[in-house]
Amino acid sequence: MRTTRLLPLLTAGVLLLASCGGGEDVDTGGGGGGGDNVLVAAVAAQPDQFDPHATTAYASFQVLENVYDTLIVPNPDDLTMEPSLAESWETSEDGLTWTFTLRDGVTFHDGSEFDSADVVYSYRRIIDEELANSYRFATVADIAAPDPRTVVITLTQPTPNLLEQIGAFKGMSIVSENAAEEFDLQTEANGTGPFRLESSDANSTVLTAYEDYWDGAPSVDGVEFRYISEGTAALTALQNGEVQWTDNVPPQNIESLADDDSVELGSATSVEYYYLSLNYDRAPFDNPQVRRAIATALDREEIAQAARFGAAQPNQTAIPEGSAYYLDYAPYTPDEDAARQLIEQSGVPTPITLGLMVTDEDAESVAAAQVIASQLEPIGVNVEIEEEDLATWLDREAQGDMDSFLFSWIGNIDPADFYEQQHLSTGGSNYQGYSNPQVDDLLTRASTETDQAARKDLYDQAARIIVDDASYIYLFNPDVVQAWAPGLTGYTIRADAAINFENVELP
Amino acid sequence: MTQLPTPGANPAEPPPAEPIPPSRPARPRWRETLGLLARNPTAAVSAVVLVLIVLVALFDETLAPDGPNDQDQSIALQPPSWSHPFGTDEFGRDILSRVVLGAGTSLRVGFLSVAFALVVGTLIGLLAGFYGKWVDDVLMRLMDMLFAFPAVLLAIAVVAIRGTGPANAILAIGIVYVPIFARVTRASVLGVREEVYVRASRSIGASDFRLLTRHVLPNAAPPIIVQTSISLAFAVLAEAALSFLGLGPRRPNPSWGLMLADGRGFIEQAWWYSVFPGLAIVLTVLCFNLLGDGLRDVLDPRQRTLTAGSGR
Repeated sequence: MRTTRLLPLLTAGVLLLASCGGGEDVDTGGGGGGGDNVLVAAVAAQPDQFDPHATTAYASFQVLENVYDTLIVPNPDDLTMEPSLAESWETSEDGLTWTFTLRDGVTFHDGSEFDSADVVYSYRRIIDEELANSYRFATVADIAAPDPRTVVITLTQPTPNLLEQIGAFKGMSIVSENAAEEFDLQTEANGTGPFRLESSDANSTVLTAYEDYWDGAPSVDGVEFRYISEGTAALTALQNGEVQWTDNVPPQNIESLADDDSVELGSATSVEYYYLSLNYDRAPFDNPQVRRAIATALDREEIAQAARFGAAQPNQTAIPEGSAYYLDYAPYTPDEDAARQLIEQSGVPTPITLGLMVTDEDAESVAAAQVIASQLEPIGVNVEIEEEDLATWLDREAQGDMDSFLFSWIGNIDPADFYEQQHLSTGGSNYQGYSNPQVDDLLTRASTETDQAARKDLYDQAARIIVDDASYIYLFNPDVVQAWAPGLTGYTIRADAAINFENVELP
Repeated sequence: MTQLPTPGANPAEPPPAEPIPPSRPARPRWRETLGLLARNPTAAVSAVVLVLIVLVALFDETLAPDGPNDQDQSIALQPPSWSHPFGTDEFGRDILSRVVLGAGTSLRVGFLSVAFALVVGTLIGLLAGFYGKWVDDVLMRLMDMLFAFPAVLLAIAVVAIRGTGPANAILAIGIVYVPIFARVTRASVLGVREEVYVRASRSIGASDFRLLTRHVLPNAAPPIIVQTSISLAFAVLAEAALSFLGLGPRRPNPSWGLMLADGRGFIEQAWWYSVFPGLAIVLTVLCFNLLGDGLRDVLDPRQRTLTAGSGR
């Protein structure tokens, strides 16, 4: 029940420092060019698996983005929804029936035709097996395929963000009918995307171009995702021409890269957000004044500066500036005295010891935690930074075994993705134990509100309360920063950090 | 209770008529050792540097020019200057102060872990060597099992089970060195336990405890002392390695290994970030090693006679 966690861009694994090799040929499966026209992309981490419906790891979606399609996709420039496997769609008057007309002439990588049965199978798999994204279908009553080119989704209540729910990312991919029986989807793939999954091992994942792709074969013969966890090593590989693209750019290098001719740098404000949250189940952190005191004591500019070296936008809400759903609301001004007063009013004796759980696989978290520790000390809150590996971190979070936790979510596109699961009393990712009936009411109403302006207004109201209650203490939206070889064209850097190599051309 | 001497049991015993060397030092042995050490320039310099490092570690708070965790982002990543001789890190913290504070962490972990290994390992080696037979078998096979693991891997395993933090780092590194001390002690004890003075003492009814503490251990000690110095070097290194891997003290508290790990990401922008903690590690490890070498020379009985003889 979670949107994607951004996997660490910088891990501390010393043994992984070196990732070498280069220039090995990739079998393009009957193509002429051999290995010369293969894009080598350095990514930070190895995918945990390739089942699009089961994984929640960003490292997996980096690959799957290029292998699978969804009915609808976000436009790379402004993330509005546009046709992909569905050519068109219409909504009934009452908003309860959505009819999608599917594209003709689409084939899966195994050669089979794509039709409505594949869509029904894929969506039923997510719902019936309660896979990672089944909550996105919470309002879906039925999925029917009256004919091979038509899919009808019936809803129990109006769902204005249905397109975002089924199209925002590749967790909602269309797999071929019975794919889970015919393939081992953990390690194999049978999609309709521009590339087929060729092989994957501990060093890299190799994709080859799918010549019969419905939108035209990709320009490159293949893509090799090479795992280089160390950002400095990934950059060096790019500068040496060993790789042609990387998203593993250490933030401290961004400034110097701007005048580096051997590298082209792209950046965009992302839909990712960093937050700090305190556990409501542990006194005195359930005290609203203590929560507000901490929110007031933090200087987000400084935190963003230390964590991202300026490649981030401080924010007191989740949704980044630039999104249609952005809310300009910043009630907290960094103020030590005001924070100290709040703590005095709360009657909680100082010093308060606050365990702050971060994962050591995310350098930004570790840096932010150290700044927070130094900012909270003057108001009588002694922060003990607890660094855990990601698996332990997630485990402790799920069990509520922490005073406070700090990390990031990729919020995707729709405001529901930013607020619902994290702040509804019954939300699947509400690990802090927040419960405010007013917020529950607003979020529930917003999820069925079909009028866009009214919907934004409901989310704005909910966000204000969430920020005031400090359910999450929002910190900043990091920029997506990626670098590639000069002359590489056809690639668009996107706010949702999805990476798509369909139209990439090598220099 | 007197035990009767068993006649003819010690035919190899030399007649006591042989003259005892008159050069038997009037001053205690430790002073003699120190004197010899002072005449070994490398060891002497190492010892002095180590004493300085220990002093720095003891008076860290007083000596550090700034608070080691004081942040000031307006001076982040500044190169070495008069106000910050070792430069500053990405939070604007003074690296000199952090290196000074890190000395305490490194040495504390080093000393305590070696102390743990010394006590436990020596005890095991002493018992194994002295009693032999099944005691030896059981204890030393256990030690072999521990010894079979690569040191840092074993330490990581201990930390993985017990969790991170200085206390567990001490335990982890300590456990790694237990078998080394056990082996060194056992080997030394095996040689000593058949010595005449031990047998003589046993023959007049000395208890095992007295034998072990008064005769065996003191005479088996020199290799253990050398091993201690060398182990200290490796313990400081192991502490740095564990910290580097994020298994040592908690941030934001400084430790050399942690600073090295953090500085690594800034190697292109700020060489001073990792170089100074790195130098601190090198200096400490080198000095412990050189001191260990010096001690080996000084404590080796054969070498000792030679040096002592030529020195007069």
